[in-house]
Amino acid sequence: MKLHLTGLLAAVSLGAMSLATPAFAQVTLKIWSIDGVDRVGIADTFSKEFDDANEDIVVEYRAIPFDDLVNETLRAFATGNAPDIVSFDNPDFALFSSRGAMLDITDRVAASSVIKADNYFEGPLNSVSWDGKLFGIPKYTDTIGVFYNKDLFAKAGITEPPKTWAQLTEYAEKLTDPANNVYGATFSARAGEEGTFQFLPIIQMSGGGYDNVNTDGAAEVLDLWKKMIDNGWASKDVLSLGQWDSTGTFNSGNAAMAISGPWEVDRMVEDAKFDWGVALLPTITEGGERSSALGGFDWGIMSTTKHPDEAFRALEYFASQDNRIFEEFGSIPARSDIALPVTGVEKKDAALKVFQEQLKYAQPRGPHPEWQKISKAIYDAEQAALTGQMSSKDALAQAQTTINGILGK
Amino acid sequence: MRRFLASLRDGVGFDILLVGAAMVFLLAMAGLPLIYNVLMSFQQVDMFTLGSLIRPWAGFQNYIDVVRAPEFWMVTRNTIIFVFFSMAGQFVIGFALALFFAQNFPGASTIRGLFLVSWVMPGLVVGAIWSWILAGDFGVLNTILKSLGIIQSNVFWKSDPSFSIWAVVIANIWLGLAFNMLLLSVGLAAIPRDLYEAAELDGANAFQRFLTITLPMMRSTIGAVLSLGLIGTLQQFDLFPAITEGGPANTSTVAQYWSWQMSFQLYDFAKGATISVMMLVLVLIASIIYVRSTRHEVRG
Repeated sequence: MKLHLTGLLAAVSLGAMSLATPAFAQVTLKIWSIDGVDRVGIADTFSKEFDDANEDIVVEYRAIPFDDLVNETLRAFATGNAPDIVSFDNPDFALFSSRGAMLDITDRVAASSVIKADNYFEGPLNSVSWDGKLFGIPKYTDTIGVFYNKDLFAKAGITEPPKTWAQLTEYAEKLTDPANNVYGATFSARAGEEGTFQFLPIIQMSGGGYDNVNTDGAAEVLDLWKKMIDNGWASKDVLSLGQWDSTGTFNSGNAAMAISGPWEVDRMVEDAKFDWGVALLPTITEGGERSSALGGFDWGIMSTTKHPDEAFRALEYFASQDNRIFEEFGSIPARSDIALPVTGVEKKDAALKVFQEQLKYAQPRGPHPEWQKISKAIYDAEQAALTGQMSSKDALAQAQTTINGILGK
Repeated sequence: MRRFLASLRDGVGFDILLVGAAMVFLLAMAGLPLIYNVLMSFQQVDMFTLGSLIRPWAGFQNYIDVVRAPEFWMVTRNTIIFVFFSMAGQFVIGFALALFFAQNFPGASTIRGLFLVSWVMPGLVVGAIWSWILAGDFGVLNTILKSLGIIQSNVFWKSDPSFSIWAVVIANIWLGLAFNMLLLSVGLAAIPRDLYEAAELDGANAFQRFLTITLPMMRSTIGAVLSLGLIGTLQQFDLFPAITEGGPANTSTVAQYWSWQMSFQLYDFAKGATISVMMLVLVLIASIIYVRSTRHEVRG
């Protein structure tokens, strides 16, 4: 009897399961992104909303750690199991779009009433463009500026944040206080993308770019940075610290200035027990050309998708929710038509104003299909110069040779 | 047919079956990937050809490019430093500890067992802990050295080009110490006691006993420990991303980390394979030494 009951229960539950599956044909969209690995983010939230709102579409969302995302997608693409929609860090996007792995959505965007290319900032839009065509849309954007400790500035008798790199170095010397474990400045010159992220803007300010790194201005600033490290105005650890850890020393009062981006603001509001502000990245000469790094992720549809129409509908939904991403996730939309709401936290609002201004000067890394190699040439040169293995000029010249080889010049 | 079945149950057929299963496993799990890797180092590989076997032939171009890369000699130097000093440190300290714990004192075997803690810890965890110990401004080691008056200002173990490779070497010695000590302890225990007693009667002092009995009797064990040490050191990867990430300026990049960087950070799979093939040759030499030293053991 007991056996019968179990069998009956099994039959009933099987029946219930088949009833729960809707009768009409469904399209399954696979969406991959790094959101949702350690905290709730844009992609996982919006994917779920899109899934719930559309009866005819099932979204299979997968969160992949940052370090594995490109590898995992490469492998999936090579074996024919690529997702329909994927969200990449902007310098990684060209690796895929340049080789036909992303779907050309130029015409779809032109016909769309939700996504308008003109609304996006130029830098982020460049990162999803290749060969004059559009292969995706920016998801959010960020950039870097200089955080400064106003209390320490006042103590040292400095009234204004630095305007040039020479000035920043001069202030760093004044602000350094070994007795209290205070360095004048901190930044990230790590051997990795973060190193390039912070150093490429200097090259761009000096009139160069990723294809032309050997400029006098870049060598000049590199010498200034080396001077700061050699004299103990900046910790030697800037060579191994990422931006998050480097700015951590600023928050604890161990550095008077820090170069980093808007992702720091929320933690700084919590942790920093002093008055602070943000200034635009200094220039090489007073009133000289401005530049800054362009961070942030992009959305794209992979060219192997079987459901381009549904996938594009998903992108349209994501884009239509851009006005929520700042309030809910602290990310800055890459669009000029969305005004950031005021949070009421005075320092945060002031900081974001500066970062929005800074975004006007932000330039993308690349885009180039072999960006990772170019980036390595740049951060290798930076590190070789800062550790004194080579002169700044020689290091940049070597990087230029390597980059020329990659670009086939 | 019946004879065939019978031999399968008990006879030559059974032996072949067992050996065959092992061979198939070896071929599928080690042989094919190895051949694939060597093949890849002679080809041009990009994301479109990642899944296929037939790819444009590159000849020795990948090898030429790797040797010509600006960081090649730096990586070679680092690999030699890392392998030699890691092995030397692990072996010498491991041997000393093995000898120490071979003495009979209360708790000797218990304490020796506790040393295994370092061996069972995952490399990434060990790396993270050493990363804190060796940190520049607020590191544990710097604080200790400073309070002892050995150094005046902080040593930036992870960020100073002249120390970075040593930071990883120190952590690796600690990690591999227990393994060396344990294998050498086993070797020590196998030496018959009466040899020492006889030598003592003949008036040999402790140092002479070590040189003329312990070392010769341990020859095969030492050979095995050293070649396993070489393989283990060339495999050591976890400590690098956790402590220095190969920086600053590649001063702590070793071959295995470079190979990973090529494949999985720069997406140049062919060059990653090329570097690993170069390392394979080294490991092969170590394996030959290992096999010969254990063969000696079997012969007695």
